[in-house]
Amino acid sequence: MNAIRLLSILALTAAAAALPSSTSAQPAPATLTVTSPTITAGQPIPKQHSADGENTSPAFAWTGAPATTKSFALICDDPDVPMPQPFVHWVIYNIPGAAKGLPANIPIDPAAAMPAEIAGAVQGPSGFRRPIYRGPAPPPGKVHNYHFTVWALDVADLPAGLNKAQLLEAMAGHIVGQGELVATYERKPPPPQR
Amino acid sequence: MADRAPSRRDLLKIAGTAAAAAASAGAAHAEPGAAVDAEPRARAKPRPPREPLKALTAHEADLLDRIAELLIPSDEHGPGATEAMAVRYIDRGLAGPLAGQRTAYTAGLAALERYARQTRGAAFLLLPETKQISLLIDVESGTATGANVGFDGSSAAFFALMRGHVWQGTFGDPIYGGNEGFVGWDLIGYPGVRTVVTPAEQKLLSPPTRLRKSAYDNPMFNKAIVSQTPAGSDRDAD
Repeated sequence: MNAIRLLSILALTAAAAALPSSTSAQPAPATLTVTSPTITAGQPIPKQHSADGENTSPAFAWTGAPATTKSFALICDDPDVPMPQPFVHWVIYNIPGAAKGLPANIPIDPAAAMPAEIAGAVQGPSGFRRPIYRGPAPPPGKVHNYHFTVWALDVADLPAGLNKAQLLEAMAGHIVGQGELVATYERKPPPPQR
Repeated sequence: MADRAPSRRDLLKIAGTAAAAAASAGAAHAEPGAAVDAEPRARAKPRPPREPLKALTAHEADLLDRIAELLIPSDEHGPGATEAMAVRYIDRGLAGPLAGQRTAYTAGLAALERYARQTRGAAFLLLPETKQISLLIDVESGTATGANVGFDGSSAAFFALMRGHVWQGTFGDPIYGGNEGFVGWDLIGYPGVRTVVTPAEQKLLSPPTRLRKSAYDNPMFNKAIVSQTPAGSDRDAD
């Protein structure tokens, strides 16, 4: 390799290093703090939010969203299922950027109006194939972790009807904040037959 | 049903607000002191009078009637499964050709009641409509399965059994006890059983004439096997 060619390669390498990478173009998302009045991190989810109870959706609150936030999205999934991908329990997005959280008992009627504080929010289909919240109902004998992940986005009005994968794709490049609350649930095995 | 907005007649109609409260036949089966929500349950019309039951108990018939009503409601499109007497079809079937599934109904409906009391705090018929639908979604999805929960076997399998029979009882030939007054055929615009299609009808130039007769009103079917006798016949329901 002659000296001129070597210098050219070194110069190109240096120039490339000086350019911001595609990933560093977007600042790191702010950290959201996600809490719930009924769910405590690391603790069992109350039955009322599971198929062993009324299966109503829990309330959440979040803080730490940057000023550029235009909407929020929340996904609940369970990575402890014996499946290649986590099982999705809930997809809700287009939550207004001014919202400080989610109220409990989001309607199971997709045609019903959302509560006023989250007007415009929509639910996408979950692993149960319905666009509503359905809580933990794991196979018995193992503790499952349920991840309630909240994203702050610099976009609003995402298309209706997105499932988890479609929502993640639509959110790409628009995430300005992220946080999660992880709680557990376990169904006990039935007592042995006598 | 996945990935689309549900229609009015989707499986498990979800009514956001109950239109009117009506006395429920199932109220007689309430547990004393059971929690009852204030939300009334909707019923568009009084239930048609019930014939003497052949296989189901009165409470089982009440449960099935309500579930059938939620699956195929009476609404702006016309009468639903209750008016079609879908439960009469199921009852007659369980007393005859469907007798092999009688135990599945006994166990399944008892499990559904256990699940209602355990998870929603009241007998199924006393729950408000939203909770009844929420519960049935859990039964349909199979998450009500588990000896500690309600269903020893698959709740989804039992739901599929009920749903199939409600459809049969609403849209099947009336000779089997359902589709009363051909309301099921009217609902979906089925023109009726015909053995001859005229050239004009084949051209589809106009909607076909609606024939409202059982297939067994046609002489080419063997009425020696299937009679129109509504009760107690030994006919085969094929």
